[in-house]
Amino acid sequence: MLEIKNLHAKVEGEDIHILKGVNLKVNAGEIHAIMGPNGSGKSTLSKVVSGHPEYEVTEGEILFNGEDITELDADERAHLGLFLAFQYPVEVPGITNKTLLREAYNTIARANDREELDPIEFEDYIIEKLDVINMKDEFLSRSINTGFSGGEKKKNEIFQMAVLNPTLSFLDETDSGLDIDALKVVSDGVNKIANDENAIVMITHYQRLLNYIKPDHVHVMMGGKLIKSGGFELAEELEANGYDALEKELVLNGEAQ
Amino acid sequence: MSEVIQRDTMLSYITGSVESSAESVAIRAINERGREDLENTPFPTRKDEDWRFVDLKSITKSQFCKLEEANAADVGDISDHYLPEAMNCRLVFVNGVYSEELSSVEDLPNNVIVGNLAANADNNSVKEHLGTITNYDDDVFAPFNDAAFTDGAFIYVPEETVIRTPIHILNVFTDAEKAFYATPRLLYVGEMFSKSTIIEEHIGLADNQYLNVPVTEFKMFTGSNVHHARIQRDSKKASHVSRPIAILDKNAEYHSYTICLGAKLFRNDPRVIQNAEEVNFTVDGLVLIDGDQIADTHSIMDHRFAHAGSHQLHKVVVNDSAHSVFNGKIFVAKDAQKIDSFQENRNLLLSENGKVNTKPQLEIFADDVLCSHGATIGQLQDEEVFYLQSRGLTEQKSRELLVYAFALESVESMEVESVEKLLLNEVIEYTNRDEK
Ligand SMILES: Nc1ncnc2c1ncn2[C@@H]1O[C@H](COP(=O)(O)OP(=O)(O)OP(=O)(O)O)[C@@H](O)[C@H]1O
Ligand SMILES: [Mg+2]
Repeated sequence: MLEIKNLHAKVEGEDIHILKGVNLKVNAGEIHAIMGPNGSGKSTLSKVVSGHPEYEVTEGEILFNGEDITELDADERAHLGLFLAFQYPVEVPGITNKTLLREAYNTIARANDREELDPIEFEDYIIEKLDVINMKDEFLSRSINTGFSGGEKKKNEIFQMAVLNPTLSFLDETDSGLDIDALKVVSDGVNKIANDENAIVMITHYQRLLNYIKPDHVHVMMGGKLIKSGGFELAEELEANGYDALEKELVLNGEAQ
Repeated sequence: MSEVIQRDTMLSYITGSVESSAESVAIRAINERGREDLENTPFPTRKDEDWRFVDLKSITKSQFCKLEEANAADVGDISDHYLPEAMNCRLVFVNGVYSEELSSVEDLPNNVIVGNLAANADNNSVKEHLGTITNYDDDVFAPFNDAAFTDGAFIYVPEETVIRTPIHILNVFTDAEKAFYATPRLLYVGEMFSKSTIIEEHIGLADNQYLNVPVTEFKMFTGSNVHHARIQRDSKKASHVSRPIAILDKNAEYHSYTICLGAKLFRNDPRVIQNAEEVNFTVDGLVLIDGDQIADTHSIMDHRFAHAGSHQLHKVVVNDSAHSVFNGKIFVAKDAQKIDSFQENRNLLLSENGKVNTKPQLEIFADDVLCSHGATIGQLQDEEVFYLQSRGLTEQKSRELLVYAFALESVESMEVESVEKLLLNEVIEYTNRDEK
């Protein structure tokens, strides 16, 4: 589904290179986790994949279902089925969640020759999706993320994911800021959305999320690269020994740069 | 050695003389006073502090004639512009001239007057207040209206009377062979504890050039309350220079909302004057301009007594090479303690060539007051655009929604549903112009 090959990216117009050769392959039905220290480039990877104009790809390619999407705008990638749950969801005063989601849903439907929903149909559809993460319907008529608590913002991202039903989602630290109850609710929601036809890449610092959403693959990002991949045990190892130990081990093995 | 430079007056841009044909003695006296002021006041230039940023070419490069000489087109059917909420409470002025035929006033509470000034010239309130509230030093535009007006709107709301239907003052301007001038006038007298909602609208039906110089006077007695929406949708070639002023007695409330969409040149000088303690007022504005439009607001919130709450939110969206100017003065006199005044000017600049000048100005001579002001000039936030775009909205649609959201707050203060709808459509149309 997604194949990232030797991806290099820098900040547009500046000499700040962040991604330095990322390779990642995600198949339908898989759940991946990316872990890594602060500033290693995890969010940047998710933004580059979703088409943030702040970054420029200098080398490598991003294939989505075989198509090179490196040059596509963010909305065109969304139309293909990409979704990013932001680490820091943006507040947009004056536009309600419902307005955004109906516009987004119908734009994506149009782009894929699917039927659009009129306001009444959409209302039914969206109300049903509230259940996925136990969200109160009052959030529908509130301005996007405006005045939401940290946890509510994160929940709202997963709610949007449920509504837009993407094929590939990057969840950037969706677990940070959630208390244990909210974490369960959100994880349940993600598990409900996950199926054989879609895929999820979670970025997280904590193993606790992975206890609720079982990843098939775990990757470690450092210095703008995925330096090690493995199964769930890699997350446990990181939790126990930290990144430093991993880095030392790689140096010893001559695997680090 | 000093050289006396003969400066132009307003009359330099008017063909023929401004002569009164008003029947009423009271109106003729104001006309006379206006003419005197006009002859003695030089027309402003950019050297005048209050006109520094404004290009007045669209007035000074033209000659404006009396309506009678302009060969103006018939008004035709304008029922699309009627407000459903105000079907029986509407005064229509065509090119500044009262149209009894198009106006409709029925079923108002006892002793309320919603009519034209000429027909009510003998009314005591008209005699007492007309022309006494405007007070613009060194101004040429209010005197021009004073000199030229022969009629206008008159609204009188008696003591403890509440008018629930909004009152629609509809000024329409038709196409014409020559550029003409119009001087709409509105006198509002709200007696003690009266209440009403006024929708004052200016609509250019074609895209011709004309000069619209309205003066509105609001005399607000103790405890009276007015919600005054002003919607300016003049032709894109018109010049509109407004002088709306309100004077507030104890416990009076005056809330005005000016929406600027049309005109090549719009200059608006709203003033609210506190005439006693404990008043509340609002001087909000929403400006949406593009092309080469100029919109300039010079407002004064004049606190002369203690205990006032006043509020000004002036929102501006500028596209293309349009130019917005804002100068909001808050005056607080020496003994006017316990004033709570808030002023904010927020500008959204959508293009590189757009221009914004903003100058909030506080002049406070009392010590126990709470006054805040601020101005921001921003572009659409890239992060906001990206967020919406990442959800599938096109960049254009994302920007459109963000502009819409920016304007929404102001539109929602209209309180009359059909007006809110109309304005939301205008906002959508404005944001869509971008696409072309
Ligand atoms: N627009 C930018 N301009 C300058 N530096 C940037 C920009 N975007 C990212 N960076 C830098 O790139 C590095 C990677 O940032 P990124 O946000 O991808 O890290 P991260 O792995 O998500 O970290 P965290 O775990 O703290 O969220 C950081 O050093 C960051 O400061
Ligand atoms: Mg991050």
